[in-house]
Amino acid sequence: MFKYCKKLQYPINIKKKDLRMAKYLVTQYGGSNGELAAALRYLNQRFTMPDDIGKALLTDIGTEELAHVEMISTMIYQLMKDATLNEIEEAGLDAHYAEHAKALYPTDANGVPFTVTYFATTGDPLADISEDMAAEQKARAVYENLIDLTDDPEVIGPLLWLRQREIVHYTRFKELFEYYEKKLKNGANEFKESPIPTYDNYMTNFLDNPLNNFTNDTFSMNKMHLDNNEFFM
Amino acid sequence: MNRYNYFNNNWLRNTTNDKFLNNNSSLFTPKEGFEKGNLFANLYSQYKNYKPAKLRADNERERMYLELSEIAFASHELNLYLDVHPNDTSMITLFNDYRKKEMELTKAYEQKYGPLTVNSENSSANHFSWVDGSWPWERDNNV
Repeated sequence: MFKYCKKLQYPINIKKKDLRMAKYLVTQYGGSNGELAAALRYLNQRFTMPDDIGKALLTDIGTEELAHVEMISTMIYQLMKDATLNEIEEAGLDAHYAEHAKALYPTDANGVPFTVTYFATTGDPLADISEDMAAEQKARAVYENLIDLTDDPEVIGPLLWLRQREIVHYTRFKELFEYYEKKLKNGANEFKESPIPTYDNYMTNFLDNPLNNFTNDTFSMNKMHLDNNEFFM
Repeated sequence: MNRYNYFNNNWLRNTTNDKFLNNNSSLFTPKEGFEKGNLFANLYSQYKNYKPAKLRADNERERMYLELSEIAFASHELNLYLDVHPNDTSMITLFNDYRKKEMELTKAYEQKYGPLTVNSENSSANHFSWVDGSWPWERDNNV
């Protein structure tokens, strides 16, 4: 489950309205490389990660992305808050106003509404995590484009900060990718065969590997669970 | 027999970060890491000549809010790291330090300025203070 914490992950306090920037920034809310897509991508992919490491990382990064959705939404809200109708028309946001007034709506910078086709799930950990790595790099690039488009330090600050988060997340996903790649290469393809361990799988693994060599590189999470299971002790 | 040390990630030691990551001196302080958005010195990469924003607290509430944000950020960074390196004992120790500090600061902040989560102590018998202002997207309720 998720619990709300009544604070932003990083403070945002934009005093100068800037509709033009709000119009561009919305892409990190509802665009293909945006935070909403990131949150849903990871929180959706995590169910079929092959072991606890992957499930933990995708859960925790996916959760942080929700905090970034809140940050981006806050920026857009503050940039638009004090705008007059004239200014909205001049900035080309009149179509947005017609549909939503000053309310938030997840679209990209061209006004194209958010769609789940922005992300994929294949059930293959290497394919999924490659996508996640690419997503972090693309989001970093978009943050750089956005920083180039403004000179308001109150906007640049949070954008620089969010850009760094993409770099950290990319690194963690890369570590996870390399770990799975190595694990699969070493023949631990029980990933594929029994993504959801059953009682019988436990039994088979146990009997096939009476020593359950836990220090071997080709360790198995399943075995660890088995070892902890009182039934077998 | 080290039966519970099932996660053998020795091979990871040779990749990317682990050489320095066993050495906490390569971490930024929570304050500096929070300003940068990155606790890991070797991962920090500046964009063009932009420097991270300096966050300034103008009053006691903002000072406590900022300090809490810094420590919460540091423990979250270590959380992500430990997800992929769950047997790094020095990082676990540091994570626990930050986590405890975060709990203390959260409690101290909430006692003065109201609940940050609905589970926090937040209600007198006749008023449910969770609903009260300071919703995070409102300007000036941040630092």
